[in-house]
This record gives sequence, C-alpha cells and structure tokens, in this order.
Amino acid sequence: MGNFDAFEQGFASPNGNGRLPNGHGSPKERLSVEPERKFSAPAYTEIRTRRCNAKAAAESKQASSSSYHPEKKAHMNGHASATREQGSSTKPNQAEGKLSPEKEHYQKTSFEEVPMHTACLTYLGFYLLMILGYINQLLFVPKVATEKDREGYVALYDAFESFYSRYVYRRIKDCWNRPICSVPGDELTLKDRVTDDYGWSFKFTGTETRCLNLGSYNYLGFAAATGRCADESEERARDSGLAYCSSRCELGNNAQLDELEKLTARYFGVEDAIVFGMGFATNALNLPSLLGPNCMVVSDEKNHASIILGLRLSGATIKVFKHNNMRDLERVLRDGICQGNAKNGGKPWSKVMIIVEGIFSMEGSIVRLPEVVALKKKYKAYLYLDEAHSVGAMGSHGRGVTDYYKVDPKDVDILMGTFTKSFGSAGGYLAGSKKLIDFLRTNSHAHCYAGSISPPIAQQILTSMKTIMGEDGTETGRNKIMQLARNTRYFRRRLAQLGVITYGHEDSPVVPMLVYLFSKIGAVVRTLTTRHIAVVGAGFPATPIMEGRIRFCLSAAHTKEQLDYALEVIDETADDLGLKYSRKPRDPNPIEY
Amino acid sequence: MSNMIVDNVVEFASYWWFRYLMVTELYMVEKWERVTIHVLFMVLFCVFWYFNYSVLLSLAGLISPNTLIADILPGAHQGQGVKVI
Repeated sequence: MGNFDAFEQGFASPNGNGRLPNGHGSPKERLSVEPERKFSAPAYTEIRTRRCNAKAAAESKQASSSSYHPEKKAHMNGHASATREQGSSTKPNQAEGKLSPEKEHYQKTSFEEVPMHTACLTYLGFYLLMILGYINQLLFVPKVATEKDREGYVALYDAFESFYSRYVYRRIKDCWNRPICSVPGDELTLKDRVTDDYGWSFKFTGTETRCLNLGSYNYLGFAAATGRCADESEERARDSGLAYCSSRCELGNNAQLDELEKLTARYFGVEDAIVFGMGFATNALNLPSLLGPNCMVVSDEKNHASIILGLRLSGATIKVFKHNNMRDLERVLRDGICQGNAKNGGKPWSKVMIIVEGIFSMEGSIVRLPEVVALKKKYKAYLYLDEAHSVGAMGSHGRGVTDYYKVDPKDVDILMGTFTKSFGSAGGYLAGSKKLIDFLRTNSHAHCYAGSISPPIAQQILTSMKTIMGEDGTETGRNKIMQLARNTRYFRRRLAQLGVITYGHEDSPVVPMLVYLFSKIGAVVRTLTTRHIAVVGAGFPATPIMEGRIRFCLSAAHTKEQLDYALEVIDETADDLGLKYSRKPRDPNPIEY
Repeated sequence: MSNMIVDNVVEFASYWWFRYLMVTELYMVEKWERVTIHVLFMVLFCVFWYFNYSVLLSLAGLISPNTLIADILPGAHQGQGVKVI
C-alpha cells in the first residue's frame, strides 16, 4: 500500500507554465518541482510507469532532435507547403470506385466490437460509481441539492440528471468546459485551474498552458486572428457595425446577406439558399416549419440533438433506423409507408422524410449517401442532409458529402449545414430549390424572429467561402482541403497501427478513439494536457454508457510534425493506460504521409 | 542491487495497482470512497470464502461417481423425489 500515495493525490493541478513533468525537463528538475506543488494530482502530474521512465530517459537524450513541441514558441509551421512539395494528392484507397458502394463502405468504415471483459468491467465500474453516488447522497447532502425556501414545492430540477452530473461527471469535470485564452488555431492556450474539493469548484492559478489543439472543429483552419478573413471581417465591423438589431423580415436584411445567400447557393450548386445566425437553431427551428403531425420522419439513431429537438417540436411521427444501416432504413421506410399513419386510422402520410447527417460527429462515420439517395427515389421520400461537420471538410472542392460521393446536390431535397466549423464563423444555412427556400422565407421561425447575422461574422463566411472556391485567385483553399484529407488519412492509419480502437470512416476528420471507461476519459485528457495536447472527451449521455471516447478533430492547420508529436504521445499514453484494445491485424509498414 | 529489485517490484506493483484502480473507476473517486469499496470487496470475498468453505466444500466432499442426490441431502429418503424449487 505504500505506493498507493503516488496516485492518491488530489485532483486537478495543472503543471505550471513550462514545467513539464515528463519529456521536457530532466529527472532532476522533476524532483525539485514535486515538493513545491500545492495541489498534487495523479493525472496532471505524469502517471509514472515503468515504460514511461525508460522513455523519458531515452527522450531526454534525443531531446534536441525532436522537431516539434507546443511549448517551443518559434517552431516552423510548414502548413500546406509540405503538401505542395510532395506533389500529388493523397493516396486513394485501393477499393475506390471498384467495388459497389455497399462493399466500399464496409471496407472503409470500422466499428470494432468491444472486447467482452472490457464491457463487463465498464458496467461494473458504472455500478460502483452509482453505489458510491447513492452512499454519498445519503451521507452528505450537498448544498446545491437543497433548495431553500421551497417548502411544499416539487423539485424543479430533474433528479437523475443532476445525480449523474454530481456524482459521475463532477469527478472528472476538470476535463470539460476548460476555459481557453487564445485563438483556437492549430495550437491554443488553456487557462490553468485547480480544484481542491474534487470538482465542486475551481480556482484559476493564473498560469497558462500552450497546447496542440486536437479538439476544435476548425477543419480548414479558418479560425485565425490574422490573415485575410480576419482583416476583412474587421473592416466590415468598422463599416457596418456589429448588429442590425432586427430580424431579416423587418429591418435586418441587407446586401451582404443577400450576397452570402447567393454565394452559398453557388457553392453547393443549387438554386437558392437561406442563412441563419445559429447552426443549432437552423435544425431545431426549421424542421417544424417543414413537417407537421401527419408526416413520417425516418431518422438515423445517431442524429444530433438539434435534429431530434426539431422533430419533437414538429409533432411528426419519428421512426429511427440503425446507424448507417441501409437494410434497416429500407425496412423502416417500407413498413412505415405500408402501414400509414396509425394515429389517423392508417391513412397515408402527407410527407415522408429521411434525415441523415453527412459526418456523424460522435461516431466519425460518413453517411452512405448514394444508397440513401437510391432509397429515397425508390420510396419517393424527401431527403434532409445535415452537413454540419462535413461541409468544407469533405470532397475535393469542400462541398461536403455530395461532392465526396459525386452525387448531384439536386438529388438531396434539403441541404443543411453550419458555418461554425469549417468556415470558422457562426450560423447555419439551408440550401435547395428556389421553391423550398421561398417557402422557408415566409414560414421559418428562425428567419422571421431571430436577429440577422452580425456583419463581421457574415464577412468571415463570405471570405472563407470564396477562398475555398478559389475565387480569391489563390490556391489556398484547395491546399487546405488537400492538407486536411492528407492529415486525416495519415492520422487514422497511424492510430490503427498503434492498436487503439477508432470508429468511423477513413476519410472523416472526426476521429473518436474508444477508451470505454470514465476514468480513462479523465486520465487520457489529463495526461495529454500534461504533454501539451488539448483533446475533448465524450461520455454518457453523449454516447452510450459503455462507449466513452476521446474525440480528435483534425484540421488543415496541423502539420505533419504536430501530428507525429501527438501520435507519439498518444502511443505512450495508450500503453500506460491500456487503451490498445484492437484485435485487428496491424499494418507493419510505416505509414506514408 | 537488492535495493533496485525492491524498487522494481514496488514500481511494478504500483503501476498495476493504478491500472486496477482505473478499470474499476476507483481512480476518479475520493479516498474514503475508495476505502469503502475496498472494504466492500473484502467483505464479499470473505463471505464467498466462508460459503465455499462451509457449504460447497462439504458438499463437494460427498460427490463421487455413484452418489445419489438423496445421499447428499440429509432429509431425503431413497426413492423419494427431490423437490426442486
């Protein structure tokens, strides 16, 4: 038990600026740092293992040869230049274009089963946490759990959810909602904070940690404080101010937004488009204007919360099909259409709509669009495609999954997407036929009641969109798209080679790495923070209880050196924490960038 | 030399202790909670041990290829059916 204490340290104590417990400083330095630490924490100090020590020793020898570290201020960021030097585009998968869409999909997509013992342990751990939670709640009622001066009232807050967030989420809360204090480009600066009461409250230490950013949805690297986008947005803010203080239907319409809508329509190759100030609201508020109680919606089980909320608001009958499973989609469609509306005596539905996403943000998978389009045509259903994550990130022109699969965008009835991710701005759009957009202009709540998009934000979208389309006269946009595709394949293949389980399609820039347990989510996020990498963990309720995961989001702003650094650290961490669950054969050859 | 062996053993043990804490989710709980769960585990272990020792072991001793259920269960007579609940 003597060594127990090594892990028995408090909770969240970030390493001070530049005080790297591993890799950076020599072992001697580490010894001298340790006693000074006020809050010692298992994760924010390095988790010491046998391998780690050996590695650290090896690393300190060749410290000079390591080319990249987020702490080094002046590192060469060879963004996109590397792409051009090495010429040609990414090496295509051998299956490309030769197999049927179904077989190609299966070859490229991976959803490895969880090993049996891990599944059992995950449930055991969850039960233990629940038991401890109940004991805790019984013995010490937390201050937040009692509402003062509310005698006779029923509880205002949902019981299980607050129980869950108090006794499971709170314990590793330091891994979420982390404040940052820089632009979330390829690197970002985390504001350090500590807790000395196990996550109930946090204190800022006043220090900052520079981290490699593997968490933001900055797929094309347009989130930047310098450069063309930033300059033009600034100029626009000086010209037009920050807000119109009115909705589009009143005094908020202007030439810039009209231009943006026209450009969006041109970008996707459809007749017309309409833009909104918020991506989430685009789904949640427009679905009710398209659907009503006598409609049937066939929705993928992994669809985003905004879609689910929108569907519930609309009052339509929702039928769910298994994630990306075309056979199940056809079964649900056929049954639904054959049986008609049961609430209305089996009369036919007035509308049938299929709702899918381009890239599923938690699974990293890509919708099987050609097959969905075939089914939609067969059953005469409408197709609503949410491209929140895929627009900009997929396809050789960055137009999303329609571009990736070379599907005619007019085959998709309603194209939806956001400007929040690839375009580095805010807002959402709906694109499609002129008739559809005109209908939305008169009926959409988000159009009539929400304030119009702020001018600098719209300018950022305009500039970045033009850059991607190449209308600025440079190759920047094209290079960014290539860089992202290259980074994605390289990172995914290297991860598979390490032996961790990743989900999803090999071309999707969202890479979930399965760690299963809550503690492992916490430990991975904390360990990677000590090694100057910022990632996002996701657990229940965002994922099924059993499938906690770490989500890496790649960006065109990352260079090969940065990815190599990240992969090296992930390799070590995966060894130390036991994340190499995969039982697939590993590629013995080095992966080519 | 012996010091190094001890160090290695301690390091090995502490690493796997950490891995054990990790898979049981005890890594992220407070110390008293960890102790509580370990006490619970110990109690369960002892109860099982006692049960195995006192009940299963004595039953196992009676089992041989020719044994009938009636020989093991004290209340049952030859030819009488055993009531299975």
